[in-house]
Amino acid sequence: MTSSKKFIYGLGICFGLPWLIMIIIPALKAQKLMPLPYDKDRDGVEGIYPGAGIYRQGQLVYAREGCSQCHTQMIRPSFAGMMDATKKGWSSDQSEIPSEPARSSNMRDYLGEPIAFLGVQRTGPDLANAGYRLKDKAAMHVHLYAPRAVSEWSIMPGFRHLYVTQVIQGNGSPDALDLPKEYAPKKGFEIVPSLEANELVNYISSLKKDAPLPGQVVAEAKK
Amino acid sequence: METTDTTDTDGESLRRVEIDRSVKGPVLFLFANSAMWLLASTVMGLFASVKLFAPNFLDYDCLWFLNYARLQPAHMNALIYGWAMQVGLGVAIWLLARRSGRPLSSGAGMMVTAGVFWNIGVTLGIIGIFGGGSTSLQWLEFPAFVWPVLVMAFLIIAIRMVQHYMSSSASNGFTLTSHYVLAALFCFPWIYITVNLLLNHYALQAPLGAFGAGINAWYVNTLILLFFAPLGLGACYYFIPKITGQPVYSYQLAQLGFWCLIGLAGWTGMQKYMGGPLPAWMPAIGGMVSLLLLVPAGVVALNHHLTTYGKHALIESSPTLRFVFVGSFSFLVMSALGALLGTFWTGASMQFTYAEYGFHLIAIYGFFSMTMFGAVYYIVPRLAGCEWLSARLIRNHFWFSVYGIAALVVCMVIGGMAQGQSVNNPENWNQSMVGSVKNASGYLIGRALAWAFILFSNFWFFIHLVFMVLGLGRRSVSPTLLHHAHADHHAPSSTATV
Ligand code: HEC
Repeated sequence: MTSSKKFIYGLGICFGLPWLIMIIIPALKAQKLMPLPYDKDRDGVEGIYPGAGIYRQGQLVYAREGCSQCHTQMIRPSFAGMMDATKKGWSSDQSEIPSEPARSSNMRDYLGEPIAFLGVQRTGPDLANAGYRLKDKAAMHVHLYAPRAVSEWSIMPGFRHLYVTQVIQGNGSPDALDLPKEYAPKKGFEIVPSLEANELVNYISSLKKDAPLPGQVVAEAKK
Repeated sequence: METTDTTDTDGESLRRVEIDRSVKGPVLFLFANSAMWLLASTVMGLFASVKLFAPNFLDYDCLWFLNYARLQPAHMNALIYGWAMQVGLGVAIWLLARRSGRPLSSGAGMMVTAGVFWNIGVTLGIIGIFGGGSTSLQWLEFPAFVWPVLVMAFLIIAIRMVQHYMSSSASNGFTLTSHYVLAALFCFPWIYITVNLLLNHYALQAPLGAFGAGINAWYVNTLILLFFAPLGLGACYYFIPKITGQPVYSYQLAQLGFWCLIGLAGWTGMQKYMGGPLPAWMPAIGGMVSLLLLVPAGVVALNHHLTTYGKHALIESSPTLRFVFVGSFSFLVMSALGALLGTFWTGASMQFTYAEYGFHLIAIYGFFSMTMFGAVYYIVPRLAGCEWLSARLIRNHFWFSVYGIAALVVCMVIGGMAQGQSVNNPENWNQSMVGSVKNASGYLIGRALAWAFILFSNFWFFIHLVFMVLGLGRRSVSPTLLHHAHADHHAPSSTATV
């Protein structure tokens, strides 16, 4: 064997091994992951986990707009000083002081998403469970249109290009944004969400990754 | 082993001139275009940084596409595919041609064409990101139709050069440079085709879920460690012995470093999502291997240090050695930062923060680009047939780049820790991000200033390079050195043979 052949084989093996073990086999295995049924006797609930899944049409808008540059979608466990699970509002429990920390995310929470947007950076709040805490869609539209109208310290860009300015006709559109004065349009005009903005907001509302795991519901209730 | 200019015979130097001439077209084409992308990327990086502390900057309705969520990926992709990979390809062509010991008989025109297509691909990709076609996959944001164009262009160049190298008689035995370069040319298409097929096509039919994000993180790390690292180190192993006139200090050590890097790199990446939904062993392996990668990094640093030992005066006078030296030092810093980010003890408060951006920038700019600048300063005079116009411009380029990138990385790492600590502070349990945004804002001003420095330095680099490519450099037999007092003394080892 010539030295250059040896070199190529060496490379192939050195890199091929992790390629196979870290990428190819797990990618094929990811297909085998199936939803789990709840057991009525054991869990006290019926149905399957995970439930409805995300609103895919809106996820495409989320991808196009690049929201994942600043927003993550994963809850880390509580150790090594990580605080995700006990942040207010980051779990399904939206009470003032939640009784249980949020569950850390696992593979099944993202079942059915072609690629989960776990996120590049966490500049803004984690959105894994945003659907539980952001229930007011009109408010979400105002926030997306003018983030600084909601929190003056926000560095989130305003996504005004997802909204349409139009002449008010009759009583005006029921979807028109209720903006504070400095962001409001000229008199006689109103701002309404485009189809894309609606899809995006529906997607954020569908982000609910804190469903109880089958087999753990009862255990938690007993505690 | 590496031969050096000092041991030349006339015949050899004549042949080198011939080799240089045979690859002049594609190499200069790639260099000039990459410098332009570098400039574009730097401007976008500056804008993106400003928008992080002053979100109303340039926030006009007619510039709706210029928000951070599009600027940032456009900036990184222009930096990676427009500048770094393109200049890397140019340097790879030249290094392989030199190492083969034979002028390229044919294919230069084809490589220029491939270069044109590479640039068309990158341009379409950047327009795609701004126009709303981003895939939101980190470093793969280009719309899905772009990647085959890039792969084709890359393969045309890589296959031609590998063919040329393999078929030439001089390529027997182990030479560090060519093996590093070959490894980079071999790994990139493999990695890039794999992740693109999986993420852009396969995932639509067979959802990958959270693992898709894992593949993406793996891509980012392997691109750094299996393309940029070997190519940059290959250049270091070529230029350091060449300019100092000393052979690589330890050959065995170098070989060990090479195989360690290649064998370990493929396991890293998933540590980006440690504590996340991926099966725990994946980020665990990634974190552990990033620690182990300190071994090849240390080996390389030691070897380069010992090779330059006693010749440090040359760093003062030779522009190439100066840049390459900083580049090879940054490799060590990059590996250390990678190790810090990879484990829970240190990484938990840096995960998802600006510290990761700092790591990417020390890899792509501090290490790889600095090395490539060194290579460009060496190669271009030999191809263009004229010398760099001004030592002053080179010195400015060097210092503004060094201060710029150092400030950038320091700001991002410290700023990232401040950010992470605020998010992880139990006292902030009921207010999600305000502390983190406010803590980081001072460092973000630093980041913007750093980009302004780098912009200034690269603006002059670009102008200087354009003059050279147009053949408007200095007509002289002595190279442009940074300190003329030393010039006579060191002239033999770094004089252009053209
Ligand atoms: C520059 C980084 C950045 C980008 C890009 C960004 N955001 Fe944000 N986002 C933030 C910050 C910072 C906050 C917290 C301050 C605030 O509420 O405005 C936030 C808050 C939010 C919230 C409120 C979360 C909560 O828990 O109250 C939502 C919803 C949101 N962003 C959605 C999006 C969507 C959708 C996109 C893409 C169209 C996006 N963001 C892009 C930085 C960003």
